[in-house]
Amino acid sequence: MPSFSETTYRSVVAVWRTLRSMRTALILLLLVAVASVFGSLVPQVNTAPGAVADLFRDRPLQAAVYRALGLFDVYGSWWFTLAYVLLLISLASCLVPRTRALFRGLRQQPQPVGDLQGMRLFAEGVVRGDTDVALDRSRRILRRRRFRVAPAAPGLAAEKGAARENGSLIFHWSLFLLLVGVVIGKGFGFTAQATVIEGETWTESHASYDLPPQEGRFFGEGMHAGFQLRVEDFDASYHPSGVPRDFVTRVEVIDSAGRSTGERQIRVNEPLSFQGVKVYQQGYGWAPVIDVRRDGRPLTEHPVVFVTDTPNDQRQPWRGVIKLPSLRPQVGLEFELFPDPVAGVAGAPMLEARNPFLSFQAWRGDLRLTAAQSVFSLDKRGLRPWRSGGIGLGQSTTLPGGLTVSFPELREYTQFLVKRDPGTWIMLAAALLIVLGLIPALYSSRRRVWVRAVAADGDGTLLQVGGFALQRRAAFEEEFRALADELVG
Amino acid sequence: MSTEALTQLSNTTFGITLILYLLAAVASFHHLAFHRRGVLTTGRVMGWTGLAVHAASVVSRGLAAGRVPWGNLYEYVTVVGLLVVAAYLFTERVWRTEALGGFVLALVVAGMGGATLIYVPPGPLVPALNSYWLRIHVVMAMIGSALFTLGFVFTVLSLLQVRKERRHAAALTPARAPALVGADGGGERPADYVPAEEPDGSSAPAAPRGRLPSATTLDRLAYRTIVFAFPIWTMAVIFGAIWAEEAWGRYWGWDPKEVWSFITWVVFAAYLHARATVGWRGTRAAVLAIVGFGALVFNLIVVNTVIAGLHSYAG
Repeated sequence: MPSFSETTYRSVVAVWRTLRSMRTALILLLLVAVASVFGSLVPQVNTAPGAVADLFRDRPLQAAVYRALGLFDVYGSWWFTLAYVLLLISLASCLVPRTRALFRGLRQQPQPVGDLQGMRLFAEGVVRGDTDVALDRSRRILRRRRFRVAPAAPGLAAEKGAARENGSLIFHWSLFLLLVGVVIGKGFGFTAQATVIEGETWTESHASYDLPPQEGRFFGEGMHAGFQLRVEDFDASYHPSGVPRDFVTRVEVIDSAGRSTGERQIRVNEPLSFQGVKVYQQGYGWAPVIDVRRDGRPLTEHPVVFVTDTPNDQRQPWRGVIKLPSLRPQVGLEFELFPDPVAGVAGAPMLEARNPFLSFQAWRGDLRLTAAQSVFSLDKRGLRPWRSGGIGLGQSTTLPGGLTVSFPELREYTQFLVKRDPGTWIMLAAALLIVLGLIPALYSSRRRVWVRAVAADGDGTLLQVGGFALQRRAAFEEEFRALADELVG
Repeated sequence: MSTEALTQLSNTTFGITLILYLLAAVASFHHLAFHRRGVLTTGRVMGWTGLAVHAASVVSRGLAAGRVPWGNLYEYVTVVGLLVVAAYLFTERVWRTEALGGFVLALVVAGMGGATLIYVPPGPLVPALNSYWLRIHVVMAMIGSALFTLGFVFTVLSLLQVRKERRHAAALTPARAPALVGADGGGERPADYVPAEEPDGSSAPAAPRGRLPSATTLDRLAYRTIVFAFPIWTMAVIFGAIWAEEAWGRYWGWDPKEVWSFITWVVFAAYLHARATVGWRGTRAAVLAIVGFGALVFNLIVVNTVIAGLHSYAG
C-alpha cells in the first residue's frame, strides 16, 4: 500500500501533468474569455459607480447577489484572478521545459547522420573531389542559404527557422513581463484628481487632491514630486455646430526647488509629463467669484467651484453653494449659474460666458456642519427658505440684516487626472517583445537538412541529402528541390 | 468641391457600390450553380469596379469631413467593408478561389446596408479622438477586423464542405467512411499541416471550375487569413493601450471596448493553439474561429450602441 506522502506526491504530479497539457491551457484560455464577458455586461464599480448605485437602489436583492458573486468588480474578483493565475501556471509549466531544452540544444552536438534514403525528401548524386572538399562546398552552400551548419559524421546537419521556437518563447514569457509591469506600476504609483481654479497655484502633494490619492502599497506620502502648477488659463472651444473642438489649460510649471521651467499647455491627448508624474486634462467647469459681506466686512470673497449633473448637456444651469456658519441664525446660499442666459432661455447649450447670471435661494437655520457633508449641497433638514434673487456679472444685491452678495468675476476651473506609473516602460517593453516574438512564432518554419558524404569510386564523393520541415511542408518541398539541385547537381 | 457636394458624391457612390457588389454576388452564385464562365467574368469585373467606386466613396467622405474617413461607426464599417473586399479580391487572384466571392460580397453588403441605419453626416472629431493614434490604432483594428471577417467566411464554408464531403464519402463507401483531412484525430501534426498531394499556392487552381474548393483548401485559407490577422489585431490592441495611456491616463481600464477586443484576441489565440492540439483541430478549432468573429461583431455593434463606455463616441 502506498504511503500517504507517496499518494500526495502522485496527485501533485497528476495535477502538474494536467496543467501542462495544451488541452488544459485551451480550456483556461476560454475560461478567462468567458469570465471577462461578465465584466462588460454588469456595471463595474471602477468604471460605472453610478450604475452600481442605481442597481442597489432599484433592485437591492439582485444587487446583493451580484455583490456576493463579485460581479461588480469582476477583474478584481477571486475567481477571475484564479482563472488567469491558473492559466499563467499552466503556461509556465509548458515554457520552463521548452526554455531548458532550448539552452540544452545550443550546447548539444547533433546526432551522427544515419541513413537518409528513407526520407520523403531525398536526393543523391556523385560530385567531384574527396569527401572533405564535397562537405566544405556543401557547408558553404547551406550557410549562404542561412542554415546553421554543424558537423555530424559522416556528413553535416543543418537547421533553419529556430526563430519560430525562440519567438514563441519570447512572446509567451513577455506575457509574464506584462504582469510584472502591472504590479510595479500599481505598487509604486498613484492616481488622483485635482481641481484648480484659474489663477491658482497647485502643488503636487498628498494633501492637495480632491480626494485622498489612490497610492500603491510601496508608495510613501513623501514620494510625491512636490512641483507646482500655476494655472494661467483654461479654454474650451467649440465648432459652430456645438461639437467640442479643444480643451486646453495653460500652466506655468515650477519645479520642486521653486524654479519656473516655463509655460506648458495641457490638453486632451497631450498630457504634461514632469518629474515622473503625468498630468492629464480631464474636466472643467465654472467658478464664479462670489463676494458676501455683512455691514461691509467680508465673509467670503473666493471663487466657488460649481458643478453640473449633465456635463454632456450644457442646457442646464451649474450649481454651487456658500455656507455661512458664523451668522446667527446660520445662512446657506444655493446658486444656479447661467453662463449664457440668452442661449439657456432659447433651449440651446450654454457653452461660453455671455452676460452670465447667478440666481440664488437663501436658507436660514442650522447648517448641521457637525456631520460630514458635501461642499456642493446644503443639508436642508435644519433650514427654512428665506430669500431669493438674482445678480448679473458685476452686480450686487442686499439682503436683510446688512448682508450683501456680489458677483465681481467669473472664472473657470480645470480638472486634472494626475498619476505616476513607473510600470509603463515595462509594459511598453513587454508589448514590443510580444509583437517581435509573435511574428517569427507564426510565420517562420523550422526545417532541417542532412548531408551524408561517402567516398565514391575514383575521384568522386557520393552526396546524399535529406530534408524535413516541421511546418509549411508544401513550401519546403520547393526549397529543398532547389537546394538539392545546388548540392548534388 | 463644396462639403455638400462631396457628401452627396460619397453617398451616391456608396449606393452604387452596394448595387455593384450585389450584382457581383449574384453572378458568383449563378456561376456556382450553372458553371457559366461568362457570368463569372462579368461578376468579377463588377466586383473590381465596385471596389474602385467604394474607394471613391471613402475618399470623398474624408474630403467632406476634412479628416481621416474613420471617425464614427458608419465610417468604420464602410472602410472595413472596403478592406474585406480588397483582401478577398487579392486572395482570389493569388489562390484562385473564384467561387467564394458571392459569400464574401453578400456579407459585406449586409454589413454596409446595416451601416446606413447609423448614418451621420460628415463632421469634425471630438478632442478625445483628435490624435495621430486615430490613424495607427484604428487602421490596425480595421485591417484586423477585415481579415478576421474573411477568415470567418472561409471557416464557415470549410465546415459546410466537411459535412458535404462526409456525406459524399459515406454514399461512396457506406461500410467504412474514410477519415476526413482537417477533421481527423491523427497524431501530432504542425498547425498548418497539409497532405502532400494537395497543390500549394497558385501553382494549380484550388478547385474544379464552378465548385467550392475542398474542405482542406478552405480550412488552409481560413488559417492563413487568421494567422495573418492575429498579429495585426495584437498590435491594434497594443496601440489602443498606448493611446489610452495618452488620452485617459491609463493603458488598460477594462472599458467594454477593451474587454471585447481582449476576448476577441483570447479566442483567436485559442484557435491558433487548438490547431496544434489533439482532439481540438478540425471542427472544434473552426468553431473557435466563428466564436472569435462573433466577439468581433459584438464589440462593433452591441458595445457601441447598447453598452456605454469611454468608446461610446464611436457611435
